[in-house]
Amino acid sequence: MATIGADLVRQMAAGDRDAFAVFYDRYAPVVFPLILRIVRERADASDVLQEVFWEAWRDAPAYDATRGSPEAWMVTRARTRAIDRIRSTHRRSETFVAPLDEGIAAAPRESAPDALARAADRGTIMTALDRLPDAQREVIELAYYAGLTQTEIAERLKQPLGTVKTRIRLGLERLREVMKASS
Amino acid sequence: MNHEPYDRLAATYAVGALDGQERVDFERHLADGCDVCEATLRDSAETLAALARSRPPMIPPPAVKEELLRRIGTAPARRDASRPRPLVWAVGTIAATVAVAALTGAYVATRYEARLGQMARESAALHARVQREEAALREQLAVYRIAADLLRDPQVQVVTLRGLGPSPEATGRVIWHPANGGYVFVANLPAAPSGKAYALWTIGDAAPQPAGVFQVDASGRGSHRIPPVEGGKPVKVFAVTLEVEVGVPKPEGPTVLASAK
Repeated sequence: MATIGADLVRQMAAGDRDAFAVFYDRYAPVVFPLILRIVRERADASDVLQEVFWEAWRDAPAYDATRGSPEAWMVTRARTRAIDRIRSTHRRSETFVAPLDEGIAAAPRESAPDALARAADRGTIMTALDRLPDAQREVIELAYYAGLTQTEIAERLKQPLGTVKTRIRLGLERLREVMKASS
Repeated sequence: MNHEPYDRLAATYAVGALDGQERVDFERHLADGCDVCEATLRDSAETLAALARSRPPMIPPPAVKEELLRRIGTAPARRDASRPRPLVWAVGTIAATVAVAALTGAYVATRYEARLGQMARESAALHARVQREEAALREQLAVYRIAADLLRDPQVQVVTLRGLGPSPEATGRVIWHPANGGYVFVANLPAAPSGKAYALWTIGDAAPQPAGVFQVDASGRGSHRIPPVEGGKPVKVFAVTLEVEVGVPKPEGPTVLASAK
């Protein structure tokens, strides 16, 4: 699986546009729901998706398969760009803190098939993240999906910074076990 | 050295939540080369990718793919038509050169192999250099963009720093937002001696607070992100001192730049 992806990136690095089309078909459906979950608006999500794949084409020569799978390369990039987008939108508002429930649960207005897809979708996420104790799941969601920093999370949850860091670490370790067990 | 504190920092960094001085320190730790943290970050990225993959896939609007293929199809070589990117274009050209060199090598057989090998090595070295330069330029551009954005905010102040003591000709400006922090830009500072770096301090009513360390380039210029002050306490003076590279909790070295009270 990963080898096919890495081969595609190598072909993209050599300027192969067909390889890019295959690469897009393979990874866009994985990163699009992630971007949409973070930015919440479908039009914004489409913009971010385009930016992310454009960068993948541009940076393909720099991809190093020993440093991670193409999937992790794309997911990391998609999450970063999506968070950049919500931060630039909210930069003016100093007090901006993504509302907990909204940040995690609110869906953009969308057509019925999308809403259905997302409902199904949310069920799956909950099963993966739900295996974590609530306190750990909460900090990972606030950081990874809502883009809050540790300081913002600590203020928000009224917990010491050290506790936030510990929960994140334990949560990631637990998530790693859950993902390994399910793969 | 005890590595334990870095394990927690690495996890927090992996979910993009590390901020302030800890982020500066951790990035320095990574830049020094830490296989343990590199492995933790790789592993975390794969876990988060697996989490993304565990959700049902969603087909994005077809217009996105059409637009991307159009951009790539009309872009000459690897050049981005909408933004000038001469370095990216150069990277594409070099990649193409390497590819052509490889094909030709197979065709003309062993006679030219040694020479082609050398060309490929030279191309690879050039490729790496162009990529480093591009990364540095992108980073600088990002800083300028943020500074320009900050300047549009009416709450932002611009504070002048004047050279003192060993470097009277040095100059600096701080772009400062009371709640979000800001940037310092300096010029005419000599490069810090080996093992030393410039340290920025924010001074309010209490003791000077460390706000990170930075270096200047060969032309004496440098910039540095200043994290917000805890609790949004007002800053009365910004000062730069010369300190050991790893940073110090309170100023010890000579003050090279400071704002007026």
